[in-house]
Amino acid sequence: MSTEVMQAIRIDETFYKVKEIRRLTDETFSLKLPGGRFKFKAGQHISLGIQGDYQSREYSIYSGENDENLEVLVKEVKEGYFSPKLSHLKKGDLVEVNGPFGKFKIEEKHIPDNKFVFIASGTGIAPFRSMVRTYPELDYQLIHGVRYGHEAYDKEEYDPERHILCTTGDKEGQVHGRLTKYLKRTSFEKNTHFYLCGNSNMIFDALEILKNKGFDRDHIHCEVYF
Amino acid sequence: MKYHLITLGCQMNLSDSERVSAVLEQMGYERTEKEEDATLLGMLACSVRQKPIDKVYNKIAQWNKWKNKRNVITFISGCVLPADKEKFLKLFDLIFPMSELSQLPDMIRNYGVVNAASLQTPKPVMPKNEHIVDLWHIKPKYESTYEAFVPIQNGCDKFCAFCAVPYTRGREVSRPSEEIIKEIQHLVQQGYKSITLLGQNVNSYGLDKNGEEITFAELLKQIGQYGKLSGEEFWVYFTSPHPQDMTRDVIEVIAEYKCLAKQIHLPMQSGDEKVLIKMNRRHSMEKYRRIVSDIRELIPEATLFTDIIVGFTAEGEEEFQNTVAAMNEFKFNMAYIAMYSPRPGAASYRWQDEVSQDVKKDRYHRLSETMRTHTSEYNRQLVGKTFRLLVNGSDRKTGFSTGLTEGKLNVRLDRKAPELKGQIVDVKITSAADFSLSGELVLQEEKIES
Repeated sequence: MSTEVMQAIRIDETFYKVKEIRRLTDETFSLKLPGGRFKFKAGQHISLGIQGDYQSREYSIYSGENDENLEVLVKEVKEGYFSPKLSHLKKGDLVEVNGPFGKFKIEEKHIPDNKFVFIASGTGIAPFRSMVRTYPELDYQLIHGVRYGHEAYDKEEYDPERHILCTTGDKEGQVHGRLTKYLKRTSFEKNTHFYLCGNSNMIFDALEILKNKGFDRDHIHCEVYF
Repeated sequence: MKYHLITLGCQMNLSDSERVSAVLEQMGYERTEKEEDATLLGMLACSVRQKPIDKVYNKIAQWNKWKNKRNVITFISGCVLPADKEKFLKLFDLIFPMSELSQLPDMIRNYGVVNAASLQTPKPVMPKNEHIVDLWHIKPKYESTYEAFVPIQNGCDKFCAFCAVPYTRGREVSRPSEEIIKEIQHLVQQGYKSITLLGQNVNSYGLDKNGEEITFAELLKQIGQYGKLSGEEFWVYFTSPHPQDMTRDVIEVIAEYKCLAKQIHLPMQSGDEKVLIKMNRRHSMEKYRRIVSDIRELIPEATLFTDIIVGFTAEGEEEFQNTVAAMNEFKFNMAYIAMYSPRPGAASYRWQDEVSQDVKKDRYHRLSETMRTHTSEYNRQLVGKTFRLLVNGSDRKTGFSTGLTEGKLNVRLDRKAPELKGQIVDVKITSAADFSLSGELVLQEEKIES
């Protein structure tokens, strides 16, 4: 290719080179991209595309606002179209990042006087890791529902006192059963903000439980995963 | 040189087409409605629905056949999914996003010249919207002399599960408020009576600018203040707002200023919490209820319109009944009810469409019937009252003039009055039907006497 043509090639600023695919389980991985130039608020999501492909998907940001890398947490759906392609990306491959999007964020003025309960199913934990890494002073409790204990992604990063793992497929979690079982039997303080992220059925069930406990809908924030 | 332009889809595409016409006519092209006479054939497509896309394929097949007989250039723009864009590249001579409309004259002049560099650039998946401001600098060739669309925002960041717009139009970008105000001032000075502010999420206006642009409420306020100063009678509407970003101050401003039309279109989509969550609508029924309550409190005369989808994945009979209950609660003046159909590019396209077509049809009819009872009741209590009416057409059967009230209620006049088209007149309602009204013109002399 001539120098002239090379100079004419404009790499769009929304394209990022893949730094690493970090495997967390057989089905789940974190896609690492260089951070820094991408500004976002913890809890927001991005739209991710692969160079040369004409589809994109939305992923919550898994890294903190000040982290060196921009990370997303991906569950590979074997029969799916997009996630297997993502899983096969190599270091240096180009992906397109658009965003950030969404209002699933923490109001910083609420942090000093409120408690935060994060309720996640599966990879729905992603925005909560971002929040915990961004706001170390947060008074939070993380309730994570998964099938097996090994799906407690990056568990060691959370204060064990604040991390409640609910497992349905084995007994590795503090709670054996769905996270809704834990929610039903637990009482929460009045000044609590709830953040729910994961599949729509979990969100709906958890929402009903919290509403029945008398919590204001305005204090329950939802982010649905497809 | 003649051009033929086909516009498919929503009001945003219609508004864009006015700017496409302006650019082409500035080049010396003359518009023709006969495509056989044109040397430049264009389409503004809509990938959001399947039908318009089918139409694109049918039309381009025909146009490409003509290429064997005569020289024609074809182009396509509008709301196009990346996957469709890839296919269109092989079928159309020119394809461009609306944000690059100002470069269309160069594209036409240089048609056939290969730019090697452009072939090497990584192709973005989502449309790039940062240059959409260039589109808004183009003065449109308005189709009407009394009603106009004014784009204030483009793109969507909401990612509703059933919709592909974020992938066809890119992310939300707000148009500078000074430009919007200037365009409105110009329209009012030209005698326009009905102006609609357009955007995929109009009430997210300004939020993308992180404090460097005024909010939607402030924009409405500036328009309202101009309306007051101008002394002119005109109505300003907006479509569509999203309940998530609807705030009480927007409703307060509408209540305060005469020129801000007392008609609000507030898409609900479903009356069921579970379905709203599945749709990723990001608002609760509680929030929706609060907005309607604010509207009823601050603008009791306002008419309320909505959009509803029936038969969305996860909507069982119980969930549908919640939508019926919402219809009974909010008593909409109009609901645009759609039977759910999976749209390529939208997240829900990947899910099983689990509600049968028969059930969708049944729900569509039942909900329409529920709406009918409310519109009928509302319309009947208007008989005997006098309204301002923008005359905008004529009844097909009788030829009598027709128009819309400020609240966008359809009224048929008692006479043929083509000379009144584009004017706002007084009309006294004489009878009411389920979805329309009939009225008699109140002449100035009668007004003075009474």
